[in-house]
Amino acid sequence: MKRLPLPRPLIESLVTISIGLVAGALLMLLFDYNPVQAYRALFVGAFGSLEDILETLAFATPLMLTALTFAVGVRGGLFNIGAEGQMYLGAIGATFVAGLLPLPPGLHLAAATAAGMLFGALWAVPPALLKAWRGVHEVISTIMCNWIAFYLATYLAINFLAEPGRAERTAPALVTARYPVLTEDASLTAAIFVALAFCLVVYLYLWGTRAGYELRLAGENPDAARYAGVKGGKVILLSFAIGGLAAGLAGATQIIGRPPAWSLYATLGNVITLGFDGIGVALVGRNHPIGGVLAAVLFGALAHGGRFMEYHAGVLSELVRAINGLIVITLAVPELWMLARRRFSR
Amino acid sequence: MSPQPRVEMRGIHKVYPDGTVALRGVDFRLQQGEIVGLLGENGAGKTTLMKILSGLLRPTRGEIMVDGRLAHFRNPSDALRVGIGMVHQAFNLVPPYTALQNIVLGQEGAGPLASFRTDEPRRRVAALLTETGLEIPLDDPVESMPIGVQQRVEILKTLYRGTSVLILDEPTSALAPVEVHDLSQFLKRLRTGGKSVVFITHKLKEVLELSDRVVVLRNGQVTGEIATVQATPEGLAEMMVGRKVVARVSRAARPPGAPVLVVRDLRAANDQGASAVKGLSFEVRAGEVFGIAGVEGNGQSELVQALTGLRPPTGGEITLDGTRLLNLNPLELYRRGLGHIPEDKARFGLALNFDLAENSILSRQGERTFLGALGRLNWGRILAYARDLVERFKVLAPNVRTVVRSLSGGNQQRLLVGRELSKQPVVIVAVHPTRGLDIASTVYIRELLMQMRDDGKAVLLISADLDEVLELSDRIAVMYEGVFIGTAKTEEFTREEIGLMMGGITPKGSAYETPASAPAAD
Repeated sequence: MKRLPLPRPLIESLVTISIGLVAGALLMLLFDYNPVQAYRALFVGAFGSLEDILETLAFATPLMLTALTFAVGVRGGLFNIGAEGQMYLGAIGATFVAGLLPLPPGLHLAAATAAGMLFGALWAVPPALLKAWRGVHEVISTIMCNWIAFYLATYLAINFLAEPGRAERTAPALVTARYPVLTEDASLTAAIFVALAFCLVVYLYLWGTRAGYELRLAGENPDAARYAGVKGGKVILLSFAIGGLAAGLAGATQIIGRPPAWSLYATLGNVITLGFDGIGVALVGRNHPIGGVLAAVLFGALAHGGRFMEYHAGVLSELVRAINGLIVITLAVPELWMLARRRFSR
Repeated sequence: MSPQPRVEMRGIHKVYPDGTVALRGVDFRLQQGEIVGLLGENGAGKTTLMKILSGLLRPTRGEIMVDGRLAHFRNPSDALRVGIGMVHQAFNLVPPYTALQNIVLGQEGAGPLASFRTDEPRRRVAALLTETGLEIPLDDPVESMPIGVQQRVEILKTLYRGTSVLILDEPTSALAPVEVHDLSQFLKRLRTGGKSVVFITHKLKEVLELSDRVVVLRNGQVTGEIATVQATPEGLAEMMVGRKVVARVSRAARPPGAPVLVVRDLRAANDQGASAVKGLSFEVRAGEVFGIAGVEGNGQSELVQALTGLRPPTGGEITLDGTRLLNLNPLELYRRGLGHIPEDKARFGLALNFDLAENSILSRQGERTFLGALGRLNWGRILAYARDLVERFKVLAPNVRTVVRSLSGGNQQRLLVGRELSKQPVVIVAVHPTRGLDIASTVYIRELLMQMRDDGKAVLLISADLDEVLELSDRIAVMYEGVFIGTAKTEEFTREEIGLMMGGITPKGSAYETPASAPAAD
């Protein structure tokens, strides 16, 4: 088995994290806040107690999956930014099976999870086919699919899946279809194990199988892939399908693996932007499935701990988001730089 | 000695970051009002030298004097400031813009709307047109113009920036014969106007027609410099192809076997859809090296890609050991015994960001040996195989998990050649197999190819390096504009004859005429 290509990227990431924190500190100084106090609040908020750590991981769970969607795309030479829409459909699939289909315990949970993944993967198929057959650029098609998915999901949620008498959200997942909550004080559920397992499987697939090798080869050097007899269309389909499964699972985890709602809000408010956030997570994680997990934890920490910057250091919430954004931008620079170089050197 | 030169380059060396040595101490001089033809084979360093003069590349060593003063160009704008401008082979035009907009682009003057408010640019361009005698429909979009006119736009764009030293990279490669004539008229007018011109070419006929003086480069060095009136095609051809002192690989006499690879009336188009391979027929026999010589861009790439499944042919037939091969993908071809050392190893043959082990199974990734259950890669076997390749083909690398990008060109090529030869092919198609390699690797790879031949394999060698073709081949064909301008046993050709044919002139002295009207695109 191939060793993780970690050391150097990890060091680079740590350096950029520090740069990002310094940049954020400068921004806070500019607005007369105390950065030491604020970062202390951030860190303690994210990792200060077991509950906080679990809450951070709850935020990280869907992100590691949507990051995987983008990462598998890049590894196969695609710029798949359709995780957002695929994730909505995954949430719809899970909502339908979990809320409206009474099934025996055990099977119900598995079926709801599978439905989410399947819906996500199916939503990834049209852009994949358009790309493979007609050369339609995936950025265009996935953005379009994202919007279609947004309105489709809203429509389905309001008209078919809504909880009777409560139009603002869908029928909650039946108890048989819920991932067990790990502790009463945090919203983390066992869904994280499924997410981690999926990331691991994809990692093993990419570096340990022939199909994964061919996918990475096509992304790395399409001409060499042709020379090696790799079929471009197959790679596109595979890469999209894996990405769709991951995004669908991300959506599902927010319905059947995230208290207290256990349902989809009609505004999609409890899932919105998780797919797009995954792009940043993937870039920080160097488009590597395992790197994505680590980066997702970091993003989870920023999301959960960021709230404490507001409580304890009085930093305005807008500024908290700006600081988080700054850190993310600095983190993404090395990978963005490499992506750009690869694109323009061709 | 003549008066002070307009431009003088002294002792120019250029080593590319990947270690390729492109120029080894070149002196080059250009007088005012002079047209110099810069002649040489591919890879001789012509374009590198001119890119240095135009500020696009920096020399590793050496200096440039302009009007007797030392000049340091950090970028093309610095060179333009002293009047040196280059027109590249691939044009830099904005297709939907008009000719005028393209010419003026970037030179509109101050203010965001300066140019399109006044008629000043139009007047200046019109004056340039009168001065140079060029005709261009200024208000037509560039994309609607034929290549020859686009080239004029590109040239005018350079002149508009005040260029008095004009460098043209292969200006005739895309032109029809009539357009070549126009270009020659135009160059002469420029000369009358006191401007200096350097044009890069590998065509003997053109250099004789267009230039005042010829400078010949070979392998990064000047091998000849002669006033055009004193030059003969034979003399130039010899300077261009020369004789290299490399340890020669011996080729034992050996009766060739049965034809293995048979090609009949093969046709293929280039990326622009123009016909590039115009009905080639040949065969390669077991235990023989069939060499195709010729300057690059005469259809060799398209021929190779058609043979190896990377480009669908537009007609003709290919058989290997009697089985038809047309329209198979590279992997299926390889299973039938076709090995391929591609011309651009970084593009086709290797994935540079993959490590040696991963590259060692490129195109063999589907073989049982390297797979376990469920399509899993058997890394144990792959690593062992990679180590074996590294050892057998003397690849210098820290270990097989090293990223291939960090290897030298010679070691990358050893890995690639080793991989292809270890597939036990029946036919091997080797394209520029030693380009850019150091001498040790060059000799080693040539010996390997010879060994393949002696083992009874059929070897098709395509190379722009004439020495290589002469040294290894049993039979030689010279390719020019999509056809074989001559084919014979190696002993039946003299080097000079081949040199002439590479420049498009058949040995009888008559210039070779292209059969089809479509010009071969580079």
